[in-house]
Amino acid sequence: MGNIMIGRFVPGKSVVHQLDPRTKIIGTFVFILLMLWANTWSTYLVAAIFVWFTILLTQQPLKMYIDGLKPIFWLLAFTIVLQIFFTGGTPVLLHFGFIKVTLPGVINALFVMFRFVLIILMSTIMTLTTPPTSIANALESLLKPLKSLKVPVAEMALMLSIALRFVPLLMDETQKIMNAQKSRGMSFSTGGPVKRAKAIVPLLIPLFVGALQRALDLANAMEVRGFKDAEHRTKYRILKYKKQDYQAFASLLLFSIIFFSVLYLI
Amino acid sequence: MENAIKINNLTYQYQNQTTLFQDFNLTIDPGQWVALVGHNGSGKSTLAKLIMGLLTPTQGGITVFNQVLSESTVNDVRSQIGMVFQNPDNQFVGATVADDVAFGLENNEIDTKLMPKMIAKTLEIVGMSEYQDREPHTLSGGQKQRVALASVLALQPKIIILDEATAMLDPEGRQAVMATLTQLKEQFGDALTLVTITHDMDEAALADRVVVINDGQLILDGTPAQVFSEADVLHHNGLGLPFSGEVVAHLNQKPQKYLNESELISWLSTSNK
Repeated sequence: MGNIMIGRFVPGKSVVHQLDPRTKIIGTFVFILLMLWANTWSTYLVAAIFVWFTILLTQQPLKMYIDGLKPIFWLLAFTIVLQIFFTGGTPVLLHFGFIKVTLPGVINALFVMFRFVLIILMSTIMTLTTPPTSIANALESLLKPLKSLKVPVAEMALMLSIALRFVPLLMDETQKIMNAQKSRGMSFSTGGPVKRAKAIVPLLIPLFVGALQRALDLANAMEVRGFKDAEHRTKYRILKYKKQDYQAFASLLLFSIIFFSVLYLI
Repeated sequence: MENAIKINNLTYQYQNQTTLFQDFNLTIDPGQWVALVGHNGSGKSTLAKLIMGLLTPTQGGITVFNQVLSESTVNDVRSQIGMVFQNPDNQFVGATVADDVAFGLENNEIDTKLMPKMIAKTLEIVGMSEYQDREPHTLSGGQKQRVALASVLALQPKIIILDEATAMLDPEGRQAVMATLTQLKEQFGDALTLVTITHDMDEAALADRVVVINDGQLILDGTPAQVFSEADVLHHNGLGLPFSGEVVAHLNQKPQKYLNESELISWLSTSNK
């Protein structure tokens, strides 16, 4: 349960940690957009160098990023196989009955793999260096224009940050219930898929009941501390772009220029 | 003199028509430390929720500092009362200690610039200053409850209600919270009214006044010494005695009245050679 790397925050004092969360969200978003454009070897090289540079700036061990890639390994393998086997074209490299492996297929598969890996690495950089509540806070700030369309942005951000706050608690509780059931002879890891699925039911029910009880308690605690609605509140943490954010935006712009010149000129 | 809390002919019915309180009366004076004791299901937590306006009485009224609790005054009343609940995890709203204390301030639209000072001050009162940036899951239960107390204190309430706030804590955490409460009472004196809801009699012994309720009825009301001398009545209502009381119950030669721990120790060393 403890090895889920996606979305985990690791505290630190690096330059990337100190960036405004909005800078990191915008940066990641722009990077993903650019990666959808990339279709030559040199563009991937430029992007890889950019990601490598950012990873170095976070001052986190490389192992953390490799761990971050593990959960998507099977998805990645599946996509690559699909690309290799079902992309047409010439020259044909291998022939197994009705399946043909073509050179464009292999190149496409490699591109898709690089694209996936680079996007995941970039998102991992963001989540690794930004506390979840800061992400919620930044989203609220970035989505503020939607308020005029009557989208309850403040409520949604508060809900998100409270949900994130309860994740470790519910993980803990799941583990406790599992241990309680195991100690009474329940097995979660043996038997066929049907038996395993059935074993989940006595785990989910107490978990849901517990979560609902927590929600009611939390609602009381919030009300008692004067919570009326998410609109009429001041904010303790106010986001402010600093010098390093402008530097980050400048390097993002520089990267985009190099990326496009490589894409169209080489 | 105005009362801190005045409960007048209160009747409360659950939605399934079970009546819990019937013509219940209780007055709490400003500056008092009242322990509300009763066994599980005696109605003590329901009473706290009624006072906070989280539940609405079927009949009768609740007055907090001369303000009658109603739908239009509930926010004013709540701004005068702080409440700490039983489960330390389920009342921690913020992502860090400082954010949690800030939550109440944000709700009351306090200026952002004033917040850091207020947060630092209240955390200092409960002795949690160095934990300001810690996340809740790295704190012990007792520390979380002290943060909850700080969150409540930041709003400068006149009354603090603790609803079984130490029930889920280990002995060490319990002691730390009780010590914080005693210190608070000393610091704020008559400006702070404390209501501790508990079934731990050692905790109740710290209060100025002990009120025993069972099935929504007032059973005993008096100083700890008065209440704890009625051991039979307490046992009949599913409650025990504080430690010193239990010791006395096993003595052959008993003191004349209820003695607290330190009084009992000096009594034992002088009279019973």
